Order: sequence, then structure tokens, then C-alpha cells
Amino acid sequence: MGKEIFYFLIFPGLLFSGVIGGFLSWFDRKITARVQFRQGPPILQPFYDFVKLLAKETIVPLKGSRLTFLFAPVFALFGATMSSVFILLPALGIETGFSGDIIVLIYLLNIPSVCYIIGALASANPMASVGASREMKLILSYEVPFLLVLLSIVIKADMSIKLSEIIAVQSANGAFIGSISGIIGFITILMCIQAKLGLVPFDIAEAEGEICDGVAIEYSGSALALIKLTKYIMLFAIPALVVLLFMGGMNFVGINILWSILKVLLVVLLITLIRNTNPRVKIKQAMKFFWVWMNLFAIVAVILAIFGL
Amino acid sequence: MIDLRFLIFLPIAVGIFLYVLPESIKIVKGIIALLVSAISFFFAYKVFLLEPQIINIHCFLFEKIDKFFVFNVDNLSKVVTLFIGFFGFMFVLYSLSYITKKKKIISYYSYYLMTIGSSFGAVLTDNFITFIFFWGLLGLTLYKLIKGYDDESSSAAKKSLILIGASDSIIILGIALLWKIGGTYRMSGINTATTGALAIVAFISLVIGSLTKAGAFPVHSWIPDYVKKAPASSSAFLPASLDKLLGIYFLARICMNLFELTQWATMLLLIIGSITIIAAVMMALVQHNYKKLLGYHAVSQVGYMVIGVGLGTPLGIAGGLFHMINHALYKSGLFLTAGSVEKRTGEEDIENLGGLSKYMPLTFITALICALSISGIPPLNGFASKWMIYQGIIDFGNGSGLASRLWVVWLVLAVFGSALTLASFIKFISGIYLGRRKKEFEKVKEVSILMWLPQIIIAAVCVIFGVFAAKLIVPAFITPVSGAFKEIGMWDSQMVSFLILVSIIVGFIIYLIGNIKKLRTEDSFIGGEKIQEETNYSPLEFYKTVSKFPLLAFFYKKAEKKWFDLYDIFTKIILWFNNLFSKAHSGILSTYLIWVVAGLIILLIILI
Repeated sequence: MGKEIFYFLIFPGLLFSGVIGGFLSWFDRKITARVQFRQGPPILQPFYDFVKLLAKETIVPLKGSRLTFLFAPVFALFGATMSSVFILLPALGIETGFSGDIIVLIYLLNIPSVCYIIGALASANPMASVGASREMKLILSYEVPFLLVLLSIVIKADMSIKLSEIIAVQSANGAFIGSISGIIGFITILMCIQAKLGLVPFDIAEAEGEICDGVAIEYSGSALALIKLTKYIMLFAIPALVVLLFMGGMNFVGINILWSILKVLLVVLLITLIRNTNPRVKIKQAMKFFWVWMNLFAIVAVILAIFGL
Repeated sequence: MIDLRFLIFLPIAVGIFLYVLPESIKIVKGIIALLVSAISFFFAYKVFLLEPQIINIHCFLFEKIDKFFVFNVDNLSKVVTLFIGFFGFMFVLYSLSYITKKKKIISYYSYYLMTIGSSFGAVLTDNFITFIFFWGLLGLTLYKLIKGYDDESSSAAKKSLILIGASDSIIILGIALLWKIGGTYRMSGINTATTGALAIVAFISLVIGSLTKAGAFPVHSWIPDYVKKAPASSSAFLPASLDKLLGIYFLARICMNLFELTQWATMLLLIIGSITIIAAVMMALVQHNYKKLLGYHAVSQVGYMVIGVGLGTPLGIAGGLFHMINHALYKSGLFLTAGSVEKRTGEEDIENLGGLSKYMPLTFITALICALSISGIPPLNGFASKWMIYQGIIDFGNGSGLASRLWVVWLVLAVFGSALTLASFIKFISGIYLGRRKKEFEKVKEVSILMWLPQIIIAAVCVIFGVFAAKLIVPAFITPVSGAFKEIGMWDSQMVSFLILVSIIVGFIIYLIGNIKKLRTEDSFIGGEKIQEETNYSPLEFYKTVSKFPLLAFFYKKAEKKWFDLYDIFTKIILWFNNLFSKAHSGILSTYLIWVVAGLIILLIILI
């Protein structure tokens, strides 16, 4: 039991993925700044933000449900940390009986979004409600293509839903991104994680200029710090999942360390560039995009995977 | 065996006795019902502890009818028996406080007890004739447990009775065919392959019967109407828990013992299952009445059980049966909370409610746990069983045959249905419990202990069944039925639940490190504008975008016109024939005389 708590709290869970996620968040902001011809923040800025938020006072809404409002970020943090543990343990090649599989991950990765929604609704703010409904609709939109891409991976990995076996198949036969269905799947999942991370063009649920940060509008102080931490962790966990599924996981021996870091940075770079070169779409456009086009892509990927391409 | 006699005939006998007693001593009746249901819960537990065996009862004077009283206590029936006992006890506790003057149903407790007794009878019996007797009795008590106080409720009651009654007669047809094939009315002696016309017809008619009871598409349409108008305790008792237990019990009996499934039978069940999941949950998404929303979910969840049982593999059957028990738990919990909200506020529309979490905290917690559970949020019980079904589908995908090849379709529809369930429960929770507190509900209080206690117990059981699923619950209840199976995924529910506790502590610490003592309450900020009463974004608006999508809008429009309601379609056909024939009744004597003479001539011609 002590081992699992260590996995959860220190490595590769809360502390480790929080710190790495913080650096990735800096990377994201720095790239954004360079794209916009700005200087960009110093490397420790995400951590300054976190600590500063802890020191601020927390305001809770007068007409809302106080406890639900304050508890929601805690559970969101749990969901993010748990999924990062389940992704990173196999991704880093740590052998342990304590792990999850793809289906469990789909559900765990939804927990943060669900908690944001419940917290937003508990705040009784009309704008938060708008944000929550959009977040929910976004989940409905990307759920099916995301799942289909994962299933194409399952088919390619000889019907195994265990992450460690997916890596093993890739190290034996080469990374999945090297095949046609792999490339199509990669493009699809890139769009899906863009929506999952709530980045432009799918930041509809937060939409600063329009509904003032939507789901997070009422959060402040420590509660907002928890949400920030959750976002850092997700920014590491989800690209790590993509690396695991398509690029054969990570390896920390010799020169492979560099490759592993570069793989994650590449995925983060891609989603950062997408978010910096696109305008925000409307929720209806986003739903249409996922339901029609991304589903089509994902179905093609699944069919190609069935034929072994 | 004295146990079974107490189990089955005591509730029915006491029910008939209570029927004779006057309505004015309702409290006494309630307490008697409570005692009897407690006794039957106890005996149900004792039956659960029995070894699998066939039990003959000699209970009446005539030896000739002894052959009808053969009971089969096997692993499947004893689990279902235990849970019938549990739910029967829980809801009578709730009813004591819930069924008040306003909600009064004539002889409520009498029919309630008869329901318990006949459910036990239907589950335990080994004889088809006895089975159909108890099964039919259940349809009748279902009809009597709803009160017809206006047009809508009477037509809902009538609809339920007609649909259930029709399905009963279809079951009788199936039983007759089975007798024709096998020559016996004993369930345990039958094992037919689903090949040949007779066997296929028998299979389909029995499946229709079980699915009508459980409420799967397209024979589901009685459930949403029934639960909208029935008292919440009746809804929780029959459509939400007992009918699911019985219907899926019978389906499992059909799929596991009575027939050997072929590839096509499996395919049929999988198609029914996935259509049920998606169609019903799409309807739930746009409901305004929260009871009706729950009713559509009571339909949608059946799809998972049908898929699980239909897979026919041990893993799938285990998932389906576990989902049946879990569904009965969280859905009845949800109906109980709906009843509590309705009792305290008198509102039935999501739109008129809001912010009740402060006034009814215990009800809110129950509703939240059950809602997260039905949406399959780990580590609650809904996730545990859905996850088993998903694994079953993936495992099934390894097989050959068309149904196996299409495993991606079944899996995607099942998972997507779960996301849609979550969406509609976000609406349910936020519309009733979260959101801005309204002035008119300031005096709303938590319900009495008799009502919140069953709710909390059911919510706690939901959590326990989720947390200890793989280690304790499934081995105790499910594995003996389905046979041993190997899970292909990895999920340590206990450890994860423990880590949830850890992360709550971590959250507390972060809040404590932070400046939580400076907590300040402030009214909502909406971008600098003034908050007004009208400034609200109703949960009903949430999914308008979805219902306006071109293809979906078409289906919603047709569903509103009841195109997918088998009952309505048949009503229309019958009325059309009625109209046709009523044209002959013109009321003119000479026309009638012409008919009579013409008929006579035709008769003569044929006879000569």
C-alpha cells in the first residue's frame, strides 16, 4: 500500500507530473509568446502562479452550493493524478501490478471535466452554466472519435487493452505512427486532445472574452490553484498517452532519454501551434467537426487497422 | 422445506388479509407490511445460503397439484431472491412516510406484499405454469400500484397493463411451443438449440416477454409513462428494481439454460441492446419532467444488461447480471430522491426547481452518488459493471462470426450511451439541486428519517458494490452464476478508492496551506452586469444544440409523434379497423337485414 501511495503522490503521480506539467505549461506559453513576437514568461512562472493563488483569498458564491463548489476541484485533481499514474507507469516502463487499461483511462480522463462541470453548476453563476453545458457537449463530441482511435490501437495491438502490451507490440513491430491508420489516428487524436485540454480552437467552455472563463469564472484563491494544478498535470498526462499509443512510449536509458523528452515536447508543440494559429469555433461548429469529420477519420483508421494497414 | 412456503405464500396471504382490513388503519397496515417484508428479507437471505437444489413443496390438500410446486434454488435464482427481499424491505420503509393521504392508493400495502410474494414465486419456480401465474399476477399488481387520478395517469396505467398483459400472452405461446418441442413444463429439463422454426419462434416470444418486463426497445414505452404518474415508491419498486431483476433474470434463464444461443440470436440481442441504450438516452436528454427522465434511463440501462447477457460468454453474462443488480440499486435510489423532492416541493419540472442541495443535503448526496454511478464514474458500482460488459465485448471480438466482427460498433455505442447518460444526469442534478437557490424553496426541509434512511443505505450500497466489486461482490453473487472468467483489463478498485481518500486529504492540506480562512461569500460575477431574477441559464437549454442537429431533429420530431411507440402504433391500427367495421353499423335496419340474408345465402352455398 505504501508503494501505491508513493506512485500516487510522488512519482509518477502528483508531484512529478505536476512539476513536469508546470514546465510544459511554461513551454506552451513561451512558444505562444514567440509566435506573437513577445518575450514570454520566465521558466518558473507557472509555479509562481500556483503559489500566488494559494496566498489569495478564496471567494465562494453566495447563492451556490458551497461544499460541492469547493470539493469539485479536489476530485478533478484526483482524476488527473490517477490517470497520469496509470499512463506514466507503463509509459516509463515501471513494472507493477497496479495499473489500468485503456477503457479505465477513458473514464478517468473524463473525471476532471465532469468535476469542472459540477463545480461550475454549484457556483450558480449563469455564465458558468453556459460554460458547463458547452463542456458537456464537447465531451459528447470528442468521446466517440477518441474511443474509435483507441480501439484502432487495440486492434493493432492484437486485441489487448493493456497499455504495457501496447508498448510491447510497438517495440517489437515499430511504432504505430509508421502505418497509414496510425497517421490518420494520430491526426484525429490530436484534435480530440485539443478539445480535452480545452485549448483554442475548442476552448469554447472557457472562452475568456465571451463568458469570462466559463466553468472557472467563480473560482479564486486555493480552489483556482487546484484547478491550475489539474491543468498542468493533464498537459503532461495526455501528450504522454499519445506518445505511448503512437510513438512507442518512453525509455530512460542512455540517449533514449533525449528522444523521450523530444517526443512529448513534439506533441505539446503541435497542440500549441494549433492553438496559436486558429480562432475559437462555436460549439455547434465544434460538434459538427467531431461528429462528422473526425468520426469519419476515426472510422477509416479503424477499418484500415482491421486490414492491418 | 418450510422456508420457501414462508417466502412465497406468507406475503401473498398477508396481502390478501390486508385487503380486507379497512383503509382507515393505514398505519397498522404499513407496520404489518414492514414486518412481513422484514421476515421475507430474512428468509430470502436464508434461501441465498442454501446449496443449489430442487425443492418440492407439499402445501395443499390435493396431491395432484404438487407437480406445480417444484422450486429450483440455483445460483441465479437465489441471488435474485436475495435482492428482491432487500428492495422489498427498503421501499416499504420509505412508503411508510411517503404514502400519505394525498398519495393514497387503495390497498397499497396489500398489493405491495402480493408483489413481493409473487416475485419470489416467479423467480424460484421450476414449473412454467406456476411461473406464468406469478408473472401475470405481477402485471396486475403493477397496474394497481399506480393511482388513476386524471386522464394521463389512467392511460399510463392502462398502457402498462396492456403491454405487460400482451407480453404475458406471448410468453404463453413460447411456453406452449417449448412444451411441443421438449414435452415438459419443467424449466430445468429444457435445453433447446435455437435452430428450427419452432425453437426460433419460442425463443423470440420468450425474449419479447422478458424484454417487455425489463423494458427494452421497442417494447419499453410503458415505463416512461408509468413512472411519470405513479408514486415514486411504486416506480422505485417495480419498473426500477423488481421488473429489471425479473426481466433480466428471465432473459438470463432463457440465454443460459433454456436455449443454446446461435450466432444470430446473439446478434439480435446485441442489436436490441445497443438501440435501446442510444434511443432511450437520447429521449432522456430532452425531458423536462425529472421522473420521466429517470424513466427513460430505466429503459436505456436495460440495453447494457441485454448486451451483457446476450454476449453469452461468462464475462459478458457476469457483467450483465452485475449491471442488473447495480441498476436496481442506483435507479431505485434516484427514484426515492425524486419522490422526496416531489413531496417537499410539489414540483415535477426541472425548470421550476433549483438550489435544493442546501435544504435537502442527504437527498442531494444520495442523488449525486446514484447519478455519478449510473453515468459510470469510477469507482462507483455503475462503472464496475459497465467495465465488465466492455471487457466482455472486447473479449467477444476475438471470436469469429459477424456479431464478433462488429465488436467495435457495440462497444462504441455502449460507451457513447454512457457519456449521454452523464450529460442528462448533469441536467438532472444541476436543475434540481445545484444552481441558484430560489426564494420559494427557502422553507423546504429535509425529509423524515423513514425516507432518508433507505436512500442513504442504497447510496452506501452503491459505493460499497463499486469499491469492493472485484474482490468481494462479484465472487459472492455473480461468479457462481456465470462461471469462472478472466478479466482482460486491469482495475484495482479498492486501491483507487483508498487513493481518493488520500487525495481528499491532500486537497484539505492544499486548502489549509492556502488562505482558506479568509473565505468570503459574494454574489456571482457575470461580467459586471447586475444579477436579476431573470438572469439565469436554465438547464433545459443545455442540450438544445443537440436536439437541433438535422438528423437528430428529425428523429425527435418523429418520437414526439410516437412513431417508435409500439403501443401507439398498434392502437392506431386497431382503431383503423374499428372505424372500418363501424361503417357497417349504420343503424339502418334494412341494411342489417341485407347483411343477414346475404350471410345466410353464403352459408347455405358453403354447406350445400
